[in-house]
Amino acid sequence: MDPSQTLGEVAFSLADLAGTRFPLLEYAPDATILVDAEGKIRLVNAQTERLFGYYREELIGRPIEMLIPARYRGRHVGERKGYYGDPHVRPMGIGMELNGLRKNGSEFPVEISLSPVSTREGTFVSASVRDSTERKTLERQLRELNAALEGANRAKDSFLASMSHELRTPLNAIIGFTGTLLMQLPGPLTAEQERQLEIVQSSARHLLSLINDILDLAKIESGKVELTFEPISAKDVVDAVSSSLAALAAEKQLEFTTHVTVDGEITTDRRALTQILLNLTNNALKYTECGSVRIDVRATSYNEKPAVAFSVSDTGIGIKPDDQERLFKAFEQLDRSNTRRYEGTGLGLYLCRNLAQLLGGELMVTSEFGKGSTFTFTLPRAR
Amino acid sequence: MSRILVVDDNAVNLDLMLYLLRAFGHEADGHADGLAGLHAALRGDFALVLTDILMPGIDGYEFARRFKRESHLSAVPLVAVTALAMSGDRERITEAGFDGYITKPIEPRTFVAQVEAFLGRDGP
Repeated sequence: MDPSQTLGEVAFSLADLAGTRFPLLEYAPDATILVDAEGKIRLVNAQTERLFGYYREELIGRPIEMLIPARYRGRHVGERKGYYGDPHVRPMGIGMELNGLRKNGSEFPVEISLSPVSTREGTFVSASVRDSTERKTLERQLRELNAALEGANRAKDSFLASMSHELRTPLNAIIGFTGTLLMQLPGPLTAEQERQLEIVQSSARHLLSLINDILDLAKIESGKVELTFEPISAKDVVDAVSSSLAALAAEKQLEFTTHVTVDGEITTDRRALTQILLNLTNNALKYTECGSVRIDVRATSYNEKPAVAFSVSDTGIGIKPDDQERLFKAFEQLDRSNTRRYEGTGLGLYLCRNLAQLLGGELMVTSEFGKGSTFTFTLPRAR
Repeated sequence: MSRILVVDDNAVNLDLMLYLLRAFGHEADGHADGLAGLHAALRGDFALVLTDILMPGIDGYEFARRFKRESHLSAVPLVAVTALAMSGDRERITEAGFDGYITKPIEPRTFVAQVEAFLGRDGP
């Protein structure tokens, strides 16, 4: 007998296929059962004995329905006859949910694939039977795990929402009453009282921006940022950023200019773009003691597509080459001794880079220590 | 000046808003209890109602539902002043029937102007 021959080539008798004479079948990992047109078992392999707990002598010549629970038997006879009328290959996992019945009366879920087999004695149906207990258990565990993860995600969202609410409530009183005092509504202040209250106010605002940054970050990291891509004018965004920071530049007596040389619109999320530019420009003004800060917007290309480069350059303290990548990590302010002088959350650049990526662009830095830095955000014109 | 009703279960925040509004010459009443606030609002002698959203008992959403079904109050703007400031909150609050939405922490310098804008738009 030549084992390279396939079962379909009408070469074998049942006797050729039985037992160790046909190892491919005998040692197949699935229980394999050949059934004739009357539904009688004509041949089984070793795995069938193991799976159902019968010796093969107890199975041969008996109806196949002995291997399924009584409640399925009536329906099974009908299905079996139907299949014989139109025999075709039916792979695993298709068809009805069925249980197998062991000799000891216990049941287990099975997957069955069917195929017609031609032998010298005629056509039989070969059923390969696999115990799907493990797969079913895995599926159930997977479903439970998914449900638990969804629950955890919901819990995280609602935790973020309560955090935001609970932290803002006391800040409302702090910022509010500091404001009423500074507005001198209850009465006049001495210069020193005013100076101290301004410290309270800026610290409270700092705390608020820290809370906002942390929540933004949590939203970005859980994929919850809602972006609205729409055509916007780069100049409008730069003008808005410029006017909201002009006072800070004037206060530090820095030259602050904008140069927009692109026309037309960019399709992006206005809020995220504004947030990135505000952050970069605010940093530039913060870390520059004298000289200038300028925003340049020019046409460029990114991944061979039309893009716009927003650059924020300063004549500030600059960043050493080794520090330039560290800059974009969360809570890294390069010189810890600087944190009191330059107030910031340490999250700004990390957030900016994350937002830049969400917009499909990229944020880079070039800098010379002691001379200044340029942060460039390259943004594709279309989404 | 106009009578303004402020409802907030947080006594300190209620105090802040009443203080600010009165400092700018408005007549303002406050309630720290949602239900008492609603009853006061339903009596109808206010030109503007400001309410917190998350309150025990009657929250801002329920407040809006019961306030907005009173036809005699249809000309009175209802504004939420709330620390619910995450994305989606504005939409939820607007859908609940509020005419305006101010987030906490309030900026004292702009709060009064924001409130006065509501009075100017819809009130006397």
